Formats: sequence, C-alpha cells, structure tokens
Amino acid sequence: MTALQLTDVRKTYQSGDDEIVALESTTLTVPSDEILALVGPSGSGKTTLLSIAGGLLGPTEGRVMVGDEDITGHSPRELTSFRRRRVGFVFQAVNLVPFLNARENLLVVAEFAKLDKKGAKERAEQLLGELGLGDRMDNLPGQLSGGERQRVAIGRALMNQPELVLIDEPTSALDTKLGEQVMQLIVREVKARGTAAVIVTHDLRMTQFADRTISITDGRIEH
Amino acid sequence: MNLGLKELRRRPGRFGAAAAALVLISVLTLFLGGLLDGLYLGSTGALRAQPGDLMTFSGNSKLSVIRSRITGEQRAEIAKIDGVTAVGGVGFALVSAAVPNQSEPASVTVIGYELAPAGVPDRPMVGEAYADQSLETKGVRIGQVLAVGPKQLPIKVVGFVSDTNFLQQGALWTAPTTWREVLASARPDQTLPSGTFQAVTVQTARATDPAGQASIAASIDRSVAGVRTVTRDDAVLALPGIKEQNSTFTAVIGVTLLVAGIVVALFFALLTLERTGMYGVFKAIGASSGQVFAGVITQALVVAVVSFLVSVLLVVLAAAGIGDALPLTLVPRRLATTALALTVTAALGAAISLRRVVRIDPAAAIG
Amino acid sequence: MLLANREIRRARLRFALLSGAVGLLVYLILFQQLLLGGLLQSFTSALDAQDGTVLVYSSAARKNVEGSVLTPDTVEAVRRVEGVAAAGRIGQGTFTVVSEAPGKSAEQVEASVFGFETGLPGAPTRIVQGVAPSDVNEAIASQEDVAKGFGLGATVRTEAGGVPLRIVGLTENSRFSVAPTLWVTYPTYEGLRRAANPDATAVFPTLVAAQPTEGVSPTEASTRVTAQVSGVQALTRSQAVTEAPGVAAVQQSFSIILGLAFVVVTLVIGFFFLILTTQKASSLTLLRAMGAPSGYLVRNLVVQILAVVGVGIALALALLVGSTRSGGGSLPLTINPTTVARTSTAIVVLALAGSLVSIRRVLRLDPHDVVSRQSLGGLG
Repeated sequence: MTALQLTDVRKTYQSGDDEIVALESTTLTVPSDEILALVGPSGSGKTTLLSIAGGLLGPTEGRVMVGDEDITGHSPRELTSFRRRRVGFVFQAVNLVPFLNARENLLVVAEFAKLDKKGAKERAEQLLGELGLGDRMDNLPGQLSGGERQRVAIGRALMNQPELVLIDEPTSALDTKLGEQVMQLIVREVKARGTAAVIVTHDLRMTQFADRTISITDGRIEH
Repeated sequence: MNLGLKELRRRPGRFGAAAAALVLISVLTLFLGGLLDGLYLGSTGALRAQPGDLMTFSGNSKLSVIRSRITGEQRAEIAKIDGVTAVGGVGFALVSAAVPNQSEPASVTVIGYELAPAGVPDRPMVGEAYADQSLETKGVRIGQVLAVGPKQLPIKVVGFVSDTNFLQQGALWTAPTTWREVLASARPDQTLPSGTFQAVTVQTARATDPAGQASIAASIDRSVAGVRTVTRDDAVLALPGIKEQNSTFTAVIGVTLLVAGIVVALFFALLTLERTGMYGVFKAIGASSGQVFAGVITQALVVAVVSFLVSVLLVVLAAAGIGDALPLTLVPRRLATTALALTVTAALGAAISLRRVVRIDPAAAIG
Repeated sequence: MLLANREIRRARLRFALLSGAVGLLVYLILFQQLLLGGLLQSFTSALDAQDGTVLVYSSAARKNVEGSVLTPDTVEAVRRVEGVAAAGRIGQGTFTVVSEAPGKSAEQVEASVFGFETGLPGAPTRIVQGVAPSDVNEAIASQEDVAKGFGLGATVRTEAGGVPLRIVGLTENSRFSVAPTLWVTYPTYEGLRRAANPDATAVFPTLVAAQPTEGVSPTEASTRVTAQVSGVQALTRSQAVTEAPGVAAVQQSFSIILGLAFVVVTLVIGFFFLILTTQKASSLTLLRAMGAPSGYLVRNLVVQILAVVGVGIALALALLVGSTRSGGGSLPLTINPTTVARTSTAIVVLALAGSLVSIRRVLRLDPHDVVSRQSLGGLG
C-alpha cells in the first residue's frame, strides 16, 4: 500500500512579474511503512513538498494521492477534513498551545476531529507514556524542556492515527544526543503503528534513522 | 473542551483590558437606563395607577394636568356617554409638607380622587391619606400627622401604597375636600369650585379593546364641549419632560452600546492578530474555520456576560451610595435588555474578526 | 515619522476602529455637555436675566420658583429690611398660548410668563431686539422661540381667557422651564392669572426681586432678609440658578456620566497601545539593536496616539455639528467653543497619560534581547 504518491507535481508562485518555481515536476512514491528522509538546504523546496503532501498547499500541476484519497482537486474544506483524518504534522517551530498542558495538547486533535472523548483520553495518555512523558502529562509547555516539548508534538501528530506523518526539522533546536533520542522515538512510534513518515531535515547526522534518503536542491529531487 | 473557554480560564489576564472597558461601558449604560427609569416611574406613578382606561382634560390645557379643569357638569355629561361605566375626578396639588421629627420638609403631591387606584381605600376620609412608599425614606410613618402646604393643614397618614408618585413628589391620596383645601391654601389664584377637578378618570366597558376605547374617547369629545379625552398611556406621555427624556436618554444609551461593540471588535481584532500563528496550527491539524471562530465568539460572550454582572454589582453599590440624591431605579426589564444588548454587540464586535480567521493560511504554520 | 506612518497604513482597520471608538466616546462627552448647557440655560436662565441680585422665595417653596407664593405683607416686610434698597414683585406662571402670527397654525404652546414691576428690580436685562414691555398686554419673548410664532410684532393669545399679548421685544438666554418665556408688566400678569382662573380670590406674587443698598453684598442682603422676614428664603441670583431643584440632580447625573466616559476613553486608548507595543516588542527590540534611539521609538508612539485622538476628535465634532443641525427639539443647542476646546485638550492629555505604560515599556526595551530571546515553547 502506498502512503503517498506524487505524480508530476509542480509548484510555481507569482512574485511581482516573475514566476518562481518552488518545486520542479516531481514524482515520488512512499510506501506505507517507509520512513523517508528529505535532505536539502534552505530554499530547496523541501518545505513546499511537505506542504503539498500534507494538503496544506495545492500543486500547480500534477496529482497528489495520500493512501487511497486523491487530494489534488480538493476544496479547502475538503483539505481540512483530510488533514484531520489522515495526516499528522510535526512543525519546525514547536507550536504547542501555550495554555494547554501536554495531555490537552493531544486531546485538542480529538476535539477537532470529533473523536470519541473517552477513547481519546486513553490514547493520549498511552502515547505520552510511550514517549516517556507519563509523569509530565499535566505540565504546561512552559514547564517542559525543549526535548520534552518536541516529544509532545510527536504525540500530537500521532493522535488521529494518520497514514502519513510529516515532520519538518525535528532536531534543529536540539543537541546531538537529544536529537538522536527524538529520532529513535519517532522511528519506534511510526513503525509500531505502520505509519509512513517523511522527515525533512538538513542535518545529515539524522539520516541514519530513515529507511531511504533523497536530496532536493533548487526544487528538484535527486534520486 | 472548548478551546476558547479554556484559554479564558487559564489566561484571564489577557482579556482584562477588554473586560475593564466593557464593565465601565456597562456601568454607564445601566446608570443611564436607571436614571431614565427612575425619572419615568417617579413622575408618572399617579397617572399609571389611575383605574380607568381613559382620561379627560380640558381642551385648551394641552393635556397638562395642572392647567386642566373639568367641571361637575362636564363630568355628568361624560358619564352619560355610551360605553362609559364610571367617571371619577382627580386633582393634584404640589406642595411641601412638614414631617414630624424631620428637619427637612418633604415634597408631596396631594391627590384628591373619586375612583380609587389599587391599594388605596375606595372612600377616602377627610383629613386622612395613604402615602406613597417613597415617603418612608423621608421619615413618614403610619399614624403621623403631616403639616401640609403653606397653611400647615393637618393630614394623617393611615397607610402606604407603592409606585404612585407624581412629578418626583411623594403622593398623598386623600379625599377631594382635603385636596381642595390644600390647593386653595397653596395657590389662592388657582382655587377650584366644588365639583371641579383638574381631570377625570373614565372607566369604559372596553378595557382591552383599543379601537373601542378610541371610539368612546371620540364620542366624549364630540358630545361634551371643551374637553379632550386620551388613553391613560397617552396622558402619561404628555407629562412634562417624559417624551424628551425618553428620546434623549435612549439615543445616548444607543451610542454607548455602539461604543461597546467597537471596543470589543478592537480587542478581538488585536487578539486574533496575536494568535494567527496558533490558529494556523489548529487549521493545519484539521480544525475548520468555524471551529476556531466558535472559540472566539465564546470568549466574546463570556467576557460580555461577566463584565455585565460585575457592572450590575458596581451600579447597585453606587445606587446605595447615591441614595435619594438621584432618581436612580434598577428595573429588571432594564437589566435584561442591557445584558442582551451588551452580549449581542459583543458578539457582533467579535464577528469582525471572522474574515481574518477564515483567511488564516494553515500553510503558514510550516516554516 | 516613517515608522508610525507605515504602521498605521498597514493596519488601517485597527486604527480606524480605535479612532471610531474614541470619536464616539468624545462625541458622547461633547453632546452631553451640549445638552447640559442647553438644559441649564433653558431651565433657569430667566432668573439670571433679570436685574434683581437677590431673589426672595417663600420658604415652603424650597427654592422652587413654581412653588413659591408671597403675601403682600411679606413683600412689605422685605422692602423694610435694612440693606434692601429696592424690591419689586415678580409673578411667574405657565400658560397655554396660541400664536396668531401669520402662517402659524393654531397650535397650543406652553409659555412661562414673568411679570415684573416697571422701575423696580426684576426687569429683564437681556433684551436684544425691540423694547421692554410698558403697556398692558405687551410682552417680550425669548428669541430662541421665534420659529414657534413668537416673533417681533406677533400676537399670542392665552387659551384660558383669551388674553392677547403683543410681542414688542426679544430676549436672548432668558428662558425658564424649557419653555418659550414671556416677560410682561406686573398688571398684565395679574390680568392673565385672573383670566385663567375667574374663581381666584386674589393674585399673589411668586417672588420678590431685590437690590441691596450700596456697600451691602447680595449675600449679606439675602441673609438679612431670610433672618428678618418670617416664612421666606432669600437667595442671591446665582444661587437661585444653581440651587434650583432639578438642576442639582441634572448636574450630578451628567457629572457621573461624563466622568465615566472620560475614564473609558483613557482605558481604551491606553490598553490598545499597550497591546500593540507588546506585539511589536521583537521588531522594536530589533530596531534598538540596529541603533535606533529610544526617543525615536517613543516619538513614533506619541505621533500615533495623537493621530488617533485627532481623528477621533474630528469625527466627534462632525457628529456634534450633525446633531445640532437635526435639532434638539425645544432645547437650544449651540456649540460652546470653550467647552469643546477644553474637552479636546483633556482627551489628548488623558490619552497620553493612559499610554504612559506603553511608553515605559518602549523605554525599557533591551537591545540585547534580540539575540537571547527565548521562546517559551509556545506561540504568542
């Protein structure tokens, strides 16, 4: 089963009079149990690719399929629904809700997806337990360390049991040791659930954790 | 878990500014409303309490109770009109009265009546009166004899009745004879012969039928020379100042509520701006604009309601402090309409942020 | 002021909303002051517009003109008080009249009538057109009510008794009880009373207007009269105006309302700029790191505050003029430039005062924060 299928996907922007090509025509297949590392410098188009894969951005050309859903022509409302059900995000700037504690930051996903409340609470606590935050569940982000916050973000990405997790620079704010810990956690959780993951990073030390690494420069993937 | 509520509970300080402004605006609105109601109630009680649907004045008095005159003959003619079941004279004398053990005299209206409003005896005794409850605060007690008017005529208070004041002066409901005496002593150039009253209250057989009342009023005016008959409500409106007070105060209250809406719009526009990043993340992980916006509206409503409750407390305290100096009365209806208006304007104000919330791009949440 | 300018242009809605709120609040304040001025003037200016510096009421009237009645004996007693140079009777009454001016429909109007004794204190002082009444059934009217049929040369007739009054002069700022006010000779007043109430046994004056002798102040004279004549209360002319019943209550109410409005304006402006400054903190810190002096940033903030308040006041004035145009019914609404100037200045001062917290925050920015700014692990 394929988690992500990009076919001839291209993304361009109008900037004044110029047309900027963020992503050249790209074809990419990510099977459902693969962890893919996407490496490239800033401005290479990796964030654009991630956004398109996650239904945050529509392609200018090409087709995008996540699981068995073709999201190419989805309206914004359909994309919202899609993201709710099938994708998990871990953002570069850890953006937890500052006035919700760790557990509630996960529960908020269930809230939007209108999932069963009780089951959601159990799953949130289980996830946080697996992530080593069992005794920090009532803490607010301000009371957690950088690494702990990152782990909460990972838990949040997995709350809705997505088919695809999209992770943007998970280790950029962490030192090597912490970074490795986080990557190990990601791998363990993702593999245990049979979820695919695309991890964007410019940190070559972390590519060892992925099943496959591809690089991207100037909007073009080098296989 | 409503995110909007959660944020309110965890970070109440953030909304302090908007709440403080709303509390003050609400206090202002309640104060204005309370003044308006106090003025209205205190001026119109005696007329509102009249037991008839219609009132007849002399045609040339412009519905002014003080200047109107209805003679005994006119009264008899009115009684004969088809549909009229009873006619009773009513007269007013605005004077001051000395209250035992009080250094300050009280402003009173001595009212002579033939048809009794609810709460006063059908046959008033000469020299005795039922006093309006408001006179209690001036030291009047049952059993006391008040020295009324410039000739200090004695009137004994034998009971209390509520909400019957006239032009902000405490009412003393008494027999027509006593009233005539007081009037003659106070304003010798306005003495009225026996049988003449300032106005008459007319009871009809059509208490609940406005069209029927109107036609009876018209036939009275047609058949009896020199009179003008109106409904009790119109008589109330014709009292000096009532209409102007209503329109002025209501306009000012309207403007104040408008300001409330703008203040809420302002604060929520700023709050939404601060939160663009967070809302972007919500949308990225799958919240719809509607869900995000529901949180915003909830916050606006809760802030409005809490601010209103605090303002009520403040106004009640202020009213207690002000005491008699100002005619401030808080009527339940006023409280309800103010609460509603404030809440609605707050919601509308927050709604201005709707467009911005909708336009937040979840893609901005990444990088 | 590039910074201030650009920010306002980029965030038009916000600043427009704030200016709108300020404008409405200032309008509220100005309009209320206008109303108050008009009300007070229409209530009691007549008392101020006559030449008796002492006014004597019956004590039972409790400073209410309409409740006051004095007997001839009392009037004589007042005349005999040492310190009173001259005293004249004043009769006041409210009568329904109909104007017979051409073009005016026979509409009934309530008019306040003051009868004064020619040659004695109590004569109207603010006649701006025509002459004082000298003959029976001559009257002077308040010029604010010309449109109601009280123009120069017009005749009005009382409903009760049909007494005609010919208007031979006009006054300004001499009204009573928010009604068209007519000044007549005392005999005319007596005639009006008798015509209205044929059963009247006698016509008594309402007040006595007095002038003190040389060297005696009105306060001194009024104290003597009150002490020496039984059953009266003498007030100085200004006391009569400010202590008239109803005036005190009106002024108190308005004071509270105006006070609240001023506080709300201060709060709203203060908090708005506080929030803005907090939001911009990182950009402002950056500017400081780049070398912008604190004074520059503060000046920009002040410019914005002044711009907002300026637009708000302009809006308020526009609304105010609009309101006076549409009329205040029976109230003369003339804008008093002094009051407007004073209120506007107060608003500017309050706005700056309210924004002191923001200014302090700008001054306390540490440029070093640009590098060491920690994220709290969350947003905003």
